[in-house]
Amino acid sequence: MRVPNQLIKDLAPKKFDKRGVIWTIFLTVIIIIGIVAYIDQLIKGQEVTNMRDYALWGIYISNFVFFVATSFVGSVTVAILRLTKNSWRTPLVRIAEIISVAAIIMAGITIMIDMARPDRLLNLFVHARLQSPITWDVVIIPTYIVLSLLLLYFPLLPDLAILKGPLEKTQPRLSKLYGKLSLKWTGSKAQKVLQEKSIRIIAIMIIPVGLLLQTIDAWLFSTTYRVGWDSSNFAPYFISGAFVAGVGALVVVIYVVRKVKKLEEYITDSHFDKLGKFLVLACLTYLYFNINEYFMPWFTAKKDEMVHLETLFTGSYAWLFWFVILGGLVVPILVLLFKKGRRPKSMFVIGILVVLGSWWKRFIIVTPTLLHPFLPIQGVPESWRHYFPSLHEWLITGATLAMAFLIITVLVRYLPVIPIQRTADEQQMLQSSKKSES
Amino acid sequence: MKTQIKYRFVLLVFIAVFSINMAFQGLYAQEVEKNRVRLKLDYTKVIGHYAFLDIQASTRIEKRNIDVSKITIKVFNEVDDEEIHLGEVMTNLKGESRFIIKDYKSLVPDSTQVYTLGISFKGNDLYKKASKRMRFRDADITANIITKDSTDFVTATLKDTYLDSLLVGHSLDVQVQRLFNPLKISEEFNNTDDNGMILVPVEEGIPGVNGNLTLEVVLNDSDDYGTVKTLIHAPLGVPIIEESTYDQRTLWSPRDKTPIFILVVANLLIFGIWGMLLYLMYNLFKISKS
Repeated sequence: MRVPNQLIKDLAPKKFDKRGVIWTIFLTVIIIIGIVAYIDQLIKGQEVTNMRDYALWGIYISNFVFFVATSFVGSVTVAILRLTKNSWRTPLVRIAEIISVAAIIMAGITIMIDMARPDRLLNLFVHARLQSPITWDVVIIPTYIVLSLLLLYFPLLPDLAILKGPLEKTQPRLSKLYGKLSLKWTGSKAQKVLQEKSIRIIAIMIIPVGLLLQTIDAWLFSTTYRVGWDSSNFAPYFISGAFVAGVGALVVVIYVVRKVKKLEEYITDSHFDKLGKFLVLACLTYLYFNINEYFMPWFTAKKDEMVHLETLFTGSYAWLFWFVILGGLVVPILVLLFKKGRRPKSMFVIGILVVLGSWWKRFIIVTPTLLHPFLPIQGVPESWRHYFPSLHEWLITGATLAMAFLIITVLVRYLPVIPIQRTADEQQMLQSSKKSES
Repeated sequence: MKTQIKYRFVLLVFIAVFSINMAFQGLYAQEVEKNRVRLKLDYTKVIGHYAFLDIQASTRIEKRNIDVSKITIKVFNEVDDEEIHLGEVMTNLKGESRFIIKDYKSLVPDSTQVYTLGISFKGNDLYKKASKRMRFRDADITANIITKDSTDFVTATLKDTYLDSLLVGHSLDVQVQRLFNPLKISEEFNNTDDNGMILVPVEEGIPGVNGNLTLEVVLNDSDDYGTVKTLIHAPLGVPIIEESTYDQRTLWSPRDKTPIFILVVANLLIFGIWGMLLYLMYNLFKISKS
């Protein structure tokens, strides 16, 4: 377990500077405001939201779908790149794992926020009907949380053991915690065999489980026989959408972490270039499924479908729809097709566009359909015919997003964002291959 | 002193005006013009079972017919200027009510064997009093099922009970009893012949619970006899096959009737994946011990 000191110095977690502290306080304040709003929602009930009889799923559910989609990054980048033995993945995988953990935990919390009576959570298990996609969702989310945590934890073991030593004098408490979390890792052959075997199992498992998660999420909608949801295209449409959201989020977080932690030597422009190609592939795939999703109903022109599509194309959701399609997909594809567009800065801007597009995309999947029931909306106040989130909904949703960022921030603060042991092994292998060549 | 007298005078006048006002308050009350209630009465006899009176109360206000609800109507049997009280009913929100005469044989005819049934409303603050009478004689329908050339027929005979004479040229309807409206199987006008009879074929394939049909032969709204109906129960229909999936394992059934394939696939996935997760956690334990 020989690791160069310089490597440890570069990659070991460091205390936050002023910007880091301000960022953490900022997130904490947003979370506290959101918690206050949530307590008010608990006391007064869902009345404080703008969800009513027709728009009974609102921003909470679209936010939930966004989190579920983003968590797919763990399956896509880590597992697929690991199984296809793409060695360039090394400096990126840990950040992907961290995003995956944060997103899936927040997906679980967000769905509880939408429940209005979280005290009845147990009923979902006690009275579960296995025919219902809701039950499948209730099962798959905790499963994916555990799997994502294991995917993060197993590769961390050697790094935690490495970090224990250097911090023994300066930060004894943290050193002790790393020691405990490293599970007495010594790097023995038996330990390595067990670790590698387990990582391989997780890498294989997380792909079907990730696909199941996205599929179930899609089936929550497509099994309900509603205009805009009743589509056999929905599962692959969601999977490709998750591919986009996950990689987009990864690009943004990697850019910020690289800049803040000064990791330019480890996360190079070449990594961004490769990620850019990865993202453009994801966007093209998603665009293809979007065309399928909107072209066929438009071409066959069923009456209810046309009402729905007109709302999206030219109606009240048009500006959002075209921002999502053009800003969140077409522009990124056009930019990323060029090498210059795959440079870190432009990748960061494109990443933000993609993430914003992905978030609003979920909103226009959820809401317009609910406002287009088969039977006409009758006998309700005019305001129930439209939906825009209330202040409570914005504050609570803002808090969930802040909480996801806070989880990422805390994990980035206390864990090595680039695997130390793996980087050392790769450097050693590189040197030995150079020696043998000479 | 002068001022005091003035005040007393004003007080006295005030009390006087107030008292007169109270005493003759009725002088200022507006006379409410009462509306006239229109009563409609239909008599129906179901032979061998019961008879009933269908009552409808309405009024005409501003050239519109309005149902009169929640008024109490007295029902009586009139015999030679004497009223035999039968009971009371109250109209519903549609202005309708039904008075059931459980034992129609207890009704008393006059000396000419004509029955007179009446209804009356004694009036209230909004409506004037009203009454309605109807006179009818008693008729009887005898109905049977016969089979000719492997076709089933309903045959029915109509006669005047008192005169014991066959009634010729009266239209009888033959229909199958249904939950909401009867299914008519006879032609529009199906008059009794010289023997007071009708003959109506029963089509094959009419659905019925366990293949049983309840056929009705009806003399409808006759001026002389009211409505007279007789029922025949016959196994001439096609049994209704209930297509309920209540006891089956379906996607829409409750949790204790989950389809087997879903139970198997879902449990295999859940236990398979969680088995692997537990194995991975055990590997963590083994790493810490090795």
